[in-house]
Amino acid sequence: MGSMFRSEEVALVQLFLPTAAAYTCVSRLGELGLVEFRDLNASVSAFQRRFVVDVRRCEELEKTFTFLQEEVQRAGLVLPPPEGRLPAPPPRDLLRIQEETERLAQELRDVRGNQQALRVQLHQLQLHAAVLGQGHSPQLAATHTYGASERTPLLQAPGGPHQDLRVNFVAGAVEPHKAPALERLLWRACRGFLIASFRELERPLEHPVTGEPATWMTFLISYWGEQIGQKIRKITDCFHCHIFPFLEQEEARRAALQQQSQELQEVLGETERFLSQVLGRVQQLLPPAQVQVRKMKAVYLALNQCSMSTTHKCLIAETWCAARDLPALQEALRDSSMEEGVSAVAHRIPSRDMPPTLIRTNRFTASFQGIVDAYGVGRYQEVNPAPYTIVTFPFLFAVMFGDVGHGLLMFLFALAMVLAENRPAMKAAQNEIWQTFFGGRYLLLLMGLFSVYTGFIYNECFSRASSIFPSGWSVAAMANQSGWSDAFLAQHTMLTLDPNVTGVFLGPYPFGIDPIWSLAANHLSFLNSFKMKMSVILGVVHMAFGVVLGVFNHMHFGQRHRLLLETLPELTFLLGLFGYLVFLVIYKWLRVSATNAASAPSILIHFINMFLFSHSPTNRPLYPRQEVVQAMLVVLALAMVPVLLLGTPLHLLHRHRRRRRRPTGRKEDKAGLLGLPDASVNCWGSDEEKAGGLEDEQEAEEPTVNVQVESFHRRTQPVHRHCSQETCLSSIPRRSLGPLAVGHRQPLTQFLSL
Amino acid sequence: VRVRRPARLTTLGARLLRMRSALPSRGPENLQRPPLGPASRLGIPRPAMTAHSFALPVIIFTTFWGLIGIAGPWFVPKGPNRGVIITMLVATAVCCYLFWLIAILAQLNPLFGPQLKNETIWYVRFLWE
Repeated sequence: MGSMFRSEEVALVQLFLPTAAAYTCVSRLGELGLVEFRDLNASVSAFQRRFVVDVRRCEELEKTFTFLQEEVQRAGLVLPPPEGRLPAPPPRDLLRIQEETERLAQELRDVRGNQQALRVQLHQLQLHAAVLGQGHSPQLAATHTYGASERTPLLQAPGGPHQDLRVNFVAGAVEPHKAPALERLLWRACRGFLIASFRELERPLEHPVTGEPATWMTFLISYWGEQIGQKIRKITDCFHCHIFPFLEQEEARRAALQQQSQELQEVLGETERFLSQVLGRVQQLLPPAQVQVRKMKAVYLALNQCSMSTTHKCLIAETWCAARDLPALQEALRDSSMEEGVSAVAHRIPSRDMPPTLIRTNRFTASFQGIVDAYGVGRYQEVNPAPYTIVTFPFLFAVMFGDVGHGLLMFLFALAMVLAENRPAMKAAQNEIWQTFFGGRYLLLLMGLFSVYTGFIYNECFSRASSIFPSGWSVAAMANQSGWSDAFLAQHTMLTLDPNVTGVFLGPYPFGIDPIWSLAANHLSFLNSFKMKMSVILGVVHMAFGVVLGVFNHMHFGQRHRLLLETLPELTFLLGLFGYLVFLVIYKWLRVSATNAASAPSILIHFINMFLFSHSPTNRPLYPRQEVVQAMLVVLALAMVPVLLLGTPLHLLHRHRRRRRRPTGRKEDKAGLLGLPDASVNCWGSDEEKAGGLEDEQEAEEPTVNVQVESFHRRTQPVHRHCSQETCLSSIPRRSLGPLAVGHRQPLTQFLSL
Repeated sequence: VRVRRPARLTTLGARLLRMRSALPSRGPENLQRPPLGPASRLGIPRPAMTAHSFALPVIIFTTFWGLIGIAGPWFVPKGPNRGVIITMLVATAVCCYLFWLIAILAQLNPLFGPQLKNETIWYVRFLWE
């Protein structure tokens, strides 16, 4: 891992890939992860590119894979993760994979279909058996006992020709929630010319498609009359009932049904065994195939970004590659093209565009670099704020968190995660919340560690203070010297210790905040003032650090004028106003004591008056001639503002004008510099973000307005960068540090005072 | 009632002298040996009120963080991560030292004292001293 101070040097590399070896070369480069391809066919739509057929084949395969994956998941099985090294397969293997997958998919579809059909059949048989098995005996008994009179009408019809009055039966099964409705409808429609008995099955049957158990109601309807029969059939059709033929000689029928259903269950068992075999083969085949096809698709997409040379013998690719990796790149190309007997070439070409930013990180620095990149990825070879963020981000968190006990818990939790990070169980966890915590384990570790330290300084352990050293405030001295007898104490509920009294204040607590403050009712007055001033000091220090980091940028890009026109004014403005505020704070801490506390100067009023150029008579100065000094500082700082805004643009304008006045000299230089005819195939990006070093080689034909606009863009971008650097380094507005630090303690204090 | 002079930061030696002279001379005699409260018979350890110097903690902590921030980087082994580790050491030393320094400076010359409830005063007076 190189230094993280600034991003690495990245070069534009042109690759010449002979068509025979193009696929292997790109696949090899993909495995190594050395390059980023630039799209040379940006003007061509995705459907007109060279390798679109292959990409489409891969996508169809992926569709089949999705189907197989769904089937596996439906069966409740889990796909094992792919193991081992799986490079993209050569194109001729794609056919084999395709065939195998298609065959598996077809088999799976067939088996599933068969299984469905069998289950439906089984369900029917089971229903039939159940219907027959139900003893609707009273009805049958009633019909049997009459014996011969079975065929005689039960009612003596008043006359007229009658239909066939034999008793007929309809037997079937209906879903339980429809049964009452069916019964009512039958009664109303057939006007009593039927006898229906409904009975529920003892055990539920599984629905063939959904697998849910349902208890069916079987019914036996005895009726007479053909028309009634038709009505009944229509009604039962409506209700989607299953109707089975009903005969009195049940026994043989039932035995036959039993046998049939047993056979069917055997066949079903066989089918399901075969299905699990197929699924097993899918489990074996699918994961590596998915990885391989995805890689193959990626290779073809990369190849689509290359352009064809005029002789159609090789592909030209333009890639960004780290300068350090160039030898490795050339070796990889040599190796992979040697197999085909051709040779691929890579050489570096100059580029006008800004290369991408590459910062190599390890697992520790990766999370901090991620935080910094979330605010904005730095420009090419700009100073990287991440190494400083490793400490300042957890430190500023700890300033707000500041508790020994809670910090220790956080530290131990993060330590557990860090020590167990290589266990496979950790990486395989699916829970997103856990993944978030696990990804930030090093951040949590540092935050916990710093929180323990700031907790000691704030003197808070689970929001309670501890006396590691004896307190610096003596209550007894105050009591003795002010005559605080027990009677006096009983009369007054609140009394204040006065540091003016001898022996009351014995010196500052050596490590942190004195524990007496946790017992005081006015602890917030002291702590608020302390934390606000602390936030200001920390904030100013951070911002000054950010401005100083900018110096490295200006030196590296050769823009020394910015040192004078930007860094100096920025530092003057920052330190002249807010650095002076820090000075006032520290001066007051050191020089103003309790002797004249009543007339102690207020820094806030002084600071406000400084900007308003006014004077408060009740506020005494901190040092002689303070107003003069302050006036000078404000004028100086305000004078820096136009320098900041106009300095660099005017300087660049001046330089541009100076260049235009010598046109002849420049033309020759231009020809010599750009001797190669447009080395890059895709070079004229109208990027505003050109690397500063190329400034001097720009075309001199630009209109004045353009220069102004461009330099203004370049002016605001560094401000952006500064803002981002500063916001990275002091990622919380410094004013909110105080209240957040105070707020930590309040809830527990409230809770304990209940 | 004798009044303390404010503490000042000049040269180290002068600072020490001034510290010693600026400290109160322990006031009336009864402060040297505070009257033992009822808790002393129970053997409960009591933190005694002692005078805290300013110079000693400054020396100790400046040395401590100075060792970490200035001497530490020399001992970091050579390797790919050397730059990051040195940055971390220096940044930690600066941040932590500054934080501690602000805490002690803020309490050097207090302008007002803690306001305590009468129960707390009674408790602290007879249990801490």
